[in-house]
Amino acid sequence: MEKKPFLKPRTVSAVKDFVCVLPALVFLAIFTYYPICKLIQISFTDWNLLNDRWSYVGLKNWIWLFNGSGTKHLLNSLKVTILYSIGELTITLVGGLIFALIFNRMNAAFSFMRAVVFVPKYVAMSSAAVVFLWILNTDNGILNYFITSLGLPAVDWLGNRNTALLSVLLLTGWRAVGYGMMIYLSAMIGISKDYYEAAALDGATAVQRFWKITIPMLSPTTLFLFVTTFISSMKVFQSVDILTRGGPYRSTEVFVYKIYLYAMEDFRMDRASVIAIAFFVLLLAITASTFKISNSSVHYDS
Amino acid sequence: MKKMLAVVLTAALGCGLLSGCSGGSTGGGAQQAAQGGSSGGDSAAPAADPSAYEVTEPITIQWWHALEDQYSQTVSEIVEDFNNSQDLITVEATYIGSYSQTNEALVAANAAGTGLPAVTVANTPYVAEYGASGLTEDLTPYIQATGFEIDDFGKGMVDASSYGGKQVALPFLISTQIMYYNKDMADTEGITVPEKWEDMDSFLEAASIVNNGTTERFGTIIPGWDQWYFETFYLNQGVNIINEDNVSTDLGCDAAVGLVKKFREWVDKGYVNWTTMDSDASSNMRQAFIDKKAFSVVHTSSLYNTYVEKCDFEVGMAWLPGGDTKDQEIGGCVLLIPSKNDQATKNAAWQFLSYLCSKEVNMKWARETGYIPTRNSVLQTEEGVEFLKEKPAFQCIFDNLDLINPRIQHPGWNQLATIWKNYMLEMMVEDVDISTKLEDMVEEINEVLEDA
Amino acid sequence: MSGTNANSHLERELAAKRKKKIVKTVQYTLAIIVTLIVMFPLYWMLSSSVKSQEEILLLKPTLWPKEIHLENYANVFNRINFGKYYYNTIVMTAGILISQIITGVFAAYGFSKGKFKGQNLCFMIVLGALMIPIQVTFIPIYIMCANWGLSDTFLGLILPECISPYYIFMLRQTFMAIDDSYIDAAKVDGLGRVGVITKILTPMCKSTLFTTTLVTFTNGWNSYFWPKIIAKNEQRRVLTVGLAQLKNTFAGQATMNNHEIMAGAVMAIFPVVILFFVFQKYMLTGYSKAAMK
Repeated sequence: MEKKPFLKPRTVSAVKDFVCVLPALVFLAIFTYYPICKLIQISFTDWNLLNDRWSYVGLKNWIWLFNGSGTKHLLNSLKVTILYSIGELTITLVGGLIFALIFNRMNAAFSFMRAVVFVPKYVAMSSAAVVFLWILNTDNGILNYFITSLGLPAVDWLGNRNTALLSVLLLTGWRAVGYGMMIYLSAMIGISKDYYEAAALDGATAVQRFWKITIPMLSPTTLFLFVTTFISSMKVFQSVDILTRGGPYRSTEVFVYKIYLYAMEDFRMDRASVIAIAFFVLLLAITASTFKISNSSVHYDS
Repeated sequence: MKKMLAVVLTAALGCGLLSGCSGGSTGGGAQQAAQGGSSGGDSAAPAADPSAYEVTEPITIQWWHALEDQYSQTVSEIVEDFNNSQDLITVEATYIGSYSQTNEALVAANAAGTGLPAVTVANTPYVAEYGASGLTEDLTPYIQATGFEIDDFGKGMVDASSYGGKQVALPFLISTQIMYYNKDMADTEGITVPEKWEDMDSFLEAASIVNNGTTERFGTIIPGWDQWYFETFYLNQGVNIINEDNVSTDLGCDAAVGLVKKFREWVDKGYVNWTTMDSDASSNMRQAFIDKKAFSVVHTSSLYNTYVEKCDFEVGMAWLPGGDTKDQEIGGCVLLIPSKNDQATKNAAWQFLSYLCSKEVNMKWARETGYIPTRNSVLQTEEGVEFLKEKPAFQCIFDNLDLINPRIQHPGWNQLATIWKNYMLEMMVEDVDISTKLEDMVEEINEVLEDA
Repeated sequence: MSGTNANSHLERELAAKRKKKIVKTVQYTLAIIVTLIVMFPLYWMLSSSVKSQEEILLLKPTLWPKEIHLENYANVFNRINFGKYYYNTIVMTAGILISQIITGVFAAYGFSKGKFKGQNLCFMIVLGALMIPIQVTFIPIYIMCANWGLSDTFLGLILPECISPYYIFMLRQTFMAIDDSYIDAAKVDGLGRVGVITKILTPMCKSTLFTTTLVTFTNGWNSYFWPKIIAKNEQRRVLTVGLAQLKNTFAGQATMNNHEIMAGAVMAIFPVVILFFVFQKYMLTGYSKAAMK
């Protein structure tokens, strides 16, 4: 923005284009990147949110995380988060695709049913979670009523290591599967009919057409869904907060929740910061490698 | 890949620039505020001049509390009475949420150095952490200057609300652990409530109904969501939850292993229900007691009125079974003034706080809820006798008042508690080797205590 | 020869028709079953919300409420300040929505149709922000906002949410799909950037705008974590936080008041679900452009 006597029109245009994105960048700098820098700073201190007289402690927290008693918790959160992420990805991608195939019929009845399947996405997590708490309730929940009336023992859905994460997935899956369906369906409509007609003339069966045409043509959509779902599943927080609070015995302590616990339950901001930065770097690395791998395998129709 | 590298670089660059220009100043601001706050408190300490604590200008102050809906009537009556009793101070009461939510909000506001309440409640185990960090105002000079009758509180309560020799809080709503039991059931079936740990086996056998491995009625339910409810079993068996060196725990000792194994045995037999930690656990437990699916539950004495109101049978209260000793611990909440407030706010806060802790207000709470009367001048006089006539179940608390001890005070206590209750639940539910699990737990707790 | 040929042709057509009919039946059956299952939690929320407390605690749950107790809704209204929470939520959501749309549309234009040095770099900065949830960074943000005096204010509720990297990303993808020739033509006609955005891009991407804006609206309406931290005072409490408080409050009593909690939940989601069904017809086309690129 140097004041020169003559600005080339192209420069003026570039400056104007830049001004369009400037507000977004400024806000992100203040509300996203500045806090991250702050966390990096805190990670080298012993600040525990209560002590105003903190001091720098060098790499102590980093050593605690990677080569100390924090490592165990890091690995546990990594395991839980990845398990959860795989679960949500499966539900959104595989479930979404299956739902898209089932609901791929254009009439009023199907349009209504699609809307019903899609609407949970728009139901507030706080409302959805209280309903699921109620459905999953051990003594008075309707799910256990169905199970016991089949002669099976009642399940303590949220109090058991084997079912707690599953319960969280049930809730998020309920909200996500309709979204996956909608994205796939809108992409399927976009696939040109010519491909299918040509394949039919060649004598390809429906199953063959699905694998040879639909799946490859949907690969950009799959990538889009994969990346967005992956990122959001790694950030899962609220469903865990309301349903299980990370319990029982740490079996649902996903990354973000663990960070929150360190900060707000133990007030160990120093520890919360190191684990937060490690989390951010991990997420960035995985996303970057996804893009790299996908560049070679995604099929774009152009 | 190049692109992503660029992102990282930009992020790093942005970080450098930003933290360069603004990183220092924010931290400095918080620190300044802190120094301002604590220096005010320090300079006031030696002089016990009453005029320094007078309220001279009209002021509106905030009171944060964790008193749920069923207490809202009492809260508004008390606040209204105070506001009408004088012209200068207007109190606004805000329900923040549970104790832990209030704790979170207070610590966050303290870290920011702004948006603090003038007076707030705090669950008893937080006193140590707050006192150690200087979050709370030392109330000793206020007490001296205004002649507040602190000696009228039981000693345990005074100790529970002080840290390092400073009176950093005052006892407000005090409760203790209690075993609620179905008195009708006890009378008709001839079940004796246990007084000693050794009686537990026979008691649980009599009180539980187990058919072919499925429990129809639990002997008792122990809340797994807060270690406070099972802490005393350990203390009365002589287990040091925190050793005298202050950096290690004895929770792995033989007595402790024995306790865990015993609990697990009862859980396996279907006698004891060890609750989970999810957000519905507490209401599930209460519902089970109300529905007569449990003979007894371990809970806080403060919920006495609520239990009585909801149960269609007579509710009995019993002291928890003891071991070598039969000590119990203070629960409930204290009141404190955050030290980062300005002096005018603190002075107004002190007036309100001493009103909340007064005998009249305390007795109102004791009558309308299950909290315990805190004043010696009530407990040991006619008034106490009157109170017992209204609430005969409180006899067991009155009999054992001097056995109610302050909580263990340690800045790392809350971290210890979280680790402990998580491991306990795991050992109650999963098939794990208890001794190895306890070793892991002790290692984890020791690390936290050392670093606190 | 020709006769048998025609016959087999007819047979094949019949077989195909039969097959089509089977596919249709299976598809309908599956769709209906799936719809019913997905709908169940919502139905259960609604049905529990009008039951009496005795009825929700029955050992044998009733699928259809025996009696309708609309007073549950009134109880919730009386117990907590629901009207105030509604107002706060509406103002907060409107603020978030307007700021996200304005910053989002302009940024998406700049990233898709603009040309400037470091464009990719800037876009990567936006994408990187997608990976940082506020649950990780909220302490520095809270301290900053509190020091600016934003606790318990609408500005405090809105400011940290006023940019959505997701919104920018979605719109950019959609704008990319539009041919540059439209924009060049408009520029020849003398339209500036604002004109291009409001007169060309926005109308052409109507369905995506509707869809993504509805997502933004929902996220704002449903946001829980940040409001809980910045607005502790009753005066600025929002619905989601109020609902959680309802749960705490009722759990504080000795019984399960899930019927009233459900009534609160129904009231909290009502406006969003209505809006959803209004804009529902844009949904299918709305995502296609963004998802295909």
